[in-house]
Amino acid sequence: MKNKTMLKFEILRRAVAILIALAVALIFIFLCADDPLYALECLLIRPIVSNGAINFKSILTILGRTTPIIFTGLAVCVMFSANQFNLGAEGVILLGAFLGSLVAVYFPMAAGLHSVVCVIIAGIAGGVIMLIPALVKVKLKASEMVISLMLNYVILYVCMHFLNYYFADRSKGSVMTYDFLETARIGTVVEGTELTYGFFIAIIAAIIIAIFMFRTRWGYAIRMIGINESFSKYSGIKVGTIIIVSQIIGGVLSGAGGAIEILGRNTNFRWNALPGYGWTGISVAILAKNNPIAVPLAAIFIAYLNRGCELMSIYAGVPSEMIDVIQAVIFLFFAAEQFLSGYRQKLVVKEAKEEISQKNNAQMKGENA
Amino acid sequence: MLQQLCSLIFTVSFGYSIIRITSPILFAALASVVAEKAGVSNIGLEGIMLFSSLFGVLFAYWTDSWLIGILASILVGVIVAMIIGVFALKLKTDIILAGTAINIAGSGGTVFFLYLFTGLRGNTASLTTPNMLTPKINIPIIQNIPIIGDIFSDHSILTYVSFILVIVVWVLLYKTALGLRIRAVGENKNAADSVGVSVLKTQYIAIALSGALSGVGGAYMSMYYSQSWNTGIIAGRGFIALAAQAIGQGEPVGAMFASLLFGFASALANKVEGLTGFSSYLVSAIPYAITIIGLVIYAMTQLKKSRKKS
Amino acid sequence: MPDIEYVVQMKGITKVYPNGVAANQGVDFNVKKGEIHALMGENGAGKSTLMKMLFGLEQPTDGDIIINGEKVNLTSPTVAISKGIGMVHQHFMLVSNLTVAENMVLGMEPKSKGFIDYKEAVRITEEYAEKYNLHVDPNAKVRDIPVGMKQKVEILKALVRGATILILDEPTAVLTTQETTELFRELINLKNQGHTLIFISHKLNEIKEITDRLTIMRGGKSMGVYNTADISKEEISRLMVGRDVILTVEKDKAQPTDTVLKVRDLVYTNEWNKKMLDGISFDVRKGEILGIAGVEGNGQRELVDMLFNLNTPDSGTATVNGQSLIGTSQRKIRDMGVSLIPEDRMTFGIAGAGTIEENLMSDRCFKPRYNNGPLFNLKNMHDDSDQLIKDYAVLCKSRGQQVGMLSGGNIQKVVVAREFSCDPGLIIADQPTRGIDVGATEFIRKKLVELSRAGAAVLLVSADLNEVMELSDSLIVMVNGKIAAYFEDTAVLTDIIMGEYMLGIKQQSEEEVRRVQHEE
Repeated sequence: MKNKTMLKFEILRRAVAILIALAVALIFIFLCADDPLYALECLLIRPIVSNGAINFKSILTILGRTTPIIFTGLAVCVMFSANQFNLGAEGVILLGAFLGSLVAVYFPMAAGLHSVVCVIIAGIAGGVIMLIPALVKVKLKASEMVISLMLNYVILYVCMHFLNYYFADRSKGSVMTYDFLETARIGTVVEGTELTYGFFIAIIAAIIIAIFMFRTRWGYAIRMIGINESFSKYSGIKVGTIIIVSQIIGGVLSGAGGAIEILGRNTNFRWNALPGYGWTGISVAILAKNNPIAVPLAAIFIAYLNRGCELMSIYAGVPSEMIDVIQAVIFLFFAAEQFLSGYRQKLVVKEAKEEISQKNNAQMKGENA
Repeated sequence: MLQQLCSLIFTVSFGYSIIRITSPILFAALASVVAEKAGVSNIGLEGIMLFSSLFGVLFAYWTDSWLIGILASILVGVIVAMIIGVFALKLKTDIILAGTAINIAGSGGTVFFLYLFTGLRGNTASLTTPNMLTPKINIPIIQNIPIIGDIFSDHSILTYVSFILVIVVWVLLYKTALGLRIRAVGENKNAADSVGVSVLKTQYIAIALSGALSGVGGAYMSMYYSQSWNTGIIAGRGFIALAAQAIGQGEPVGAMFASLLFGFASALANKVEGLTGFSSYLVSAIPYAITIIGLVIYAMTQLKKSRKKS
Repeated sequence: MPDIEYVVQMKGITKVYPNGVAANQGVDFNVKKGEIHALMGENGAGKSTLMKMLFGLEQPTDGDIIINGEKVNLTSPTVAISKGIGMVHQHFMLVSNLTVAENMVLGMEPKSKGFIDYKEAVRITEEYAEKYNLHVDPNAKVRDIPVGMKQKVEILKALVRGATILILDEPTAVLTTQETTELFRELINLKNQGHTLIFISHKLNEIKEITDRLTIMRGGKSMGVYNTADISKEEISRLMVGRDVILTVEKDKAQPTDTVLKVRDLVYTNEWNKKMLDGISFDVRKGEILGIAGVEGNGQRELVDMLFNLNTPDSGTATVNGQSLIGTSQRKIRDMGVSLIPEDRMTFGIAGAGTIEENLMSDRCFKPRYNNGPLFNLKNMHDDSDQLIKDYAVLCKSRGQQVGMLSGGNIQKVVVAREFSCDPGLIIADQPTRGIDVGATEFIRKKLVELSRAGAAVLLVSADLNEVMELSDSLIVMVNGKIAAYFEDTAVLTDIIMGEYMLGIKQQSEEEVRRVQHEE
């Protein structure tokens, strides 16, 4: 099939997937909202427009909230591109956030430098911890998936242990660390919104990862391994090393993302469960079709829906958790290779027929002349 | 401290709690065994259990019958598993992604459905009535034997079901035509196809069975273990079951021992938690850490085996 | 029931695959009741296609299939089985972790009270084993039994499903001599019990020994039906092995100099304990094309795998300019100036979802020319890709097109462009033109000659006799994992001579073969 027709078909396919998800959402909204139309307005319009005017604050907050899922989305992109189903971003982002917090609380440094050190340490820790599933995969041929899933819980409980026993601020009502030193905080861009400079770091990260994936030999190797591992090996690509590298990068991104998130939108560390950003990161990567440059867009889309669901729960009584259902439906249809394949087949046949008739016409013309 | 530990382990209540904790993982591990035997990696067990545990409680509440609750949890488990099946087998979504989507849907979708149907947020503690909980059973004769009776008697009916299911699943896999076809399809699709065994149909059946099994596992959590439903109720048990399946070499009995290992680690964690000097959080990590270590050891032995062969 | 002379009649069978390849053209194939009928032909002669249609795996584009006097429409193996046709595939259709009895009854399980009646399954297995004198152990797991027994299980599987017409696809290819002898005894026994057997093979001795009649295929057409007793081995070989169109490639006489590739005593036993390489030794020198001819499955694939470290031999050495290839990473092998056109182009040759450019750069993307510090030098990449696309006449819209979308010939041109343009000192070309169009074929062959004359050592492995005879300067024939013959000058060779060596009628002495080791 021609590239152009294929592109059209792909766009159509994704649009249909999103529409189906929204249709599902619509059914739920009608089932549980007192005023479904208002609920729908909350979901789709109110995130950006309220009281007849564009709500910049809300838009900026949506952008701010994409920060962690851009990082996990990028991490998943890199790992899935190498065909590594490592689901550890969920735990590693928590690890990064926690370690970043500790550095931010206990190690005074100059402003600017401080936050950088926090993020670097979190990133390194993330990369190191991902060595576990990566090495086990390459050296022992065991599933990186199950190991990374278990690792999430180990990280959670170990971090909770240290938080509760060593680093908790006892003067507070619930379990949390002392406040970060001001020098470590990543500032808010516009007061009163959740948009921090972290968002811009995330965008820069997306650009860097895109360049890495498409403009460097390592990114190239990662993608080739994902497409065809035998071919990569035969071509002389160091498959084992690259598989490990892909997961280390996934870990660094998740870990650094955790620190950036916690130092931006929080004043101290108080997570008491896995944050869910890792899972959302998978949705983001699927929506972006593993293309790093599309990750921020996919993240904004998810964050937008998330914000819509939140507003719906505040104003229209529809629980915000509906976002997970919408996300899962889009996710499923996006990843479904055979979704609308019947239609694609029709397109292919139609195109082939057209080409043949064009050839015939050309031949006839030639004969006439 | 060691003495303290020993005095904890060598108690009847410790034995009792191992069994109690093992049971839900065992359900899910068996679910994973059946699916994996048919060549389908069902990683959506966590999500299936979340949905089933919720709807089990809801139906039990509506009908005031734990039995109908269980049946509903099975039905919901099958439906959710079939969603994975249709997407993975028919629409060719990567099976791991399909399972992940179901897990995502389960984590928030359950909260949403709970609100949709009851107006409650986050948990069902307020709904619980005695009729909704699965009854405990005393086994005659055994219950009167000291120690053994205390460990093995007075469990939920579902606990016994889970251990009986080990045998049932084994019989299903090894003594029935369906089991033969499941094993054949999982190992060599072409061979099965060449003698007229429908690969697709067999895989659908296997994934539906895994939905039913993990569904009961979910019901166990909400209708016995926690006595009500809450958002964090499954807490990775669906994932641990995947590991138990792998460590148990994909066999029902092996998966049972792997589940027991996890049950032991968890029971230990629960016991130790109360002691001074032990961090409750750190011990909570033990079962997961043991699972990782188990997987690594298993992979090492597998690798050695395959090296020896060649 | 009327006495029907022919149990199988295939009339005017034509099969055109969707990609336009006409695998069968008006083939007539008739099998008498109760005979052992050989179907012979080189790889690609169309015999597999013909048999796939008889077993319902493919449907003919044109022509009729008549079984026991009844015109049938074989839409699936299940239908074929119901008509009494059974097939023993070359790659066994068995489930290794099931027992023999379980494999026997899969899909038609005997039951009692809802459970599988395993005793009955064993009984059925034993009954058939006894009846046909095919002894198997019903309780053993298939993975634990020897290959010969696996084959018996396959035959029994067909018989238990009521097969009276049995297709055996190269049944002896995987067997040892003793097992082959045993199989033949069993086949004759089956014949005596009234079964009809279709026997696909290349091995002349076997054909002569066991079959009643034979049909020879070449180039998708039938070359006639003969009584086995009335036709000599030499005649069979002449009919079977031959060049339909003689493509000539102009080339100067080779001026071979130093030895580049030196292979000594390579031995490899595969996972089924069959010796696929049995002491292979040869040299390839700078400036020459050494061809490896032979019927497929005689160790050629394994040999190539060893040379590119895709597999490890039991013993022996292989060196390029003195450096070992065994156990060396592909990156190092490529650094040593070795390039490979792999036989399995879609698995090893390309990354289908990648672009043409990405596929052209896979072996060299890390080189300084294509990198500015950490980043790719896109200009050089684009320039070189475009140049390669032009030089190798790859028909495409742009370098950014997906390789998987190209035609077979153009895909192969991409592979060849990459493998030929890395300044190779040794080119291993494994079936370089299989299944691709004439234009691309000619192009690739010319390039190969060009490179060898420019000083590369070329090892050409090909099952295409025309290709291997025309391109090679000298040539070895592989039979059963051994080198059966070495010809220093291919100019004197004829199809007939080649056929006799390839099919094992003749064999050179050890001294003669040793000449391919060009020791000082």
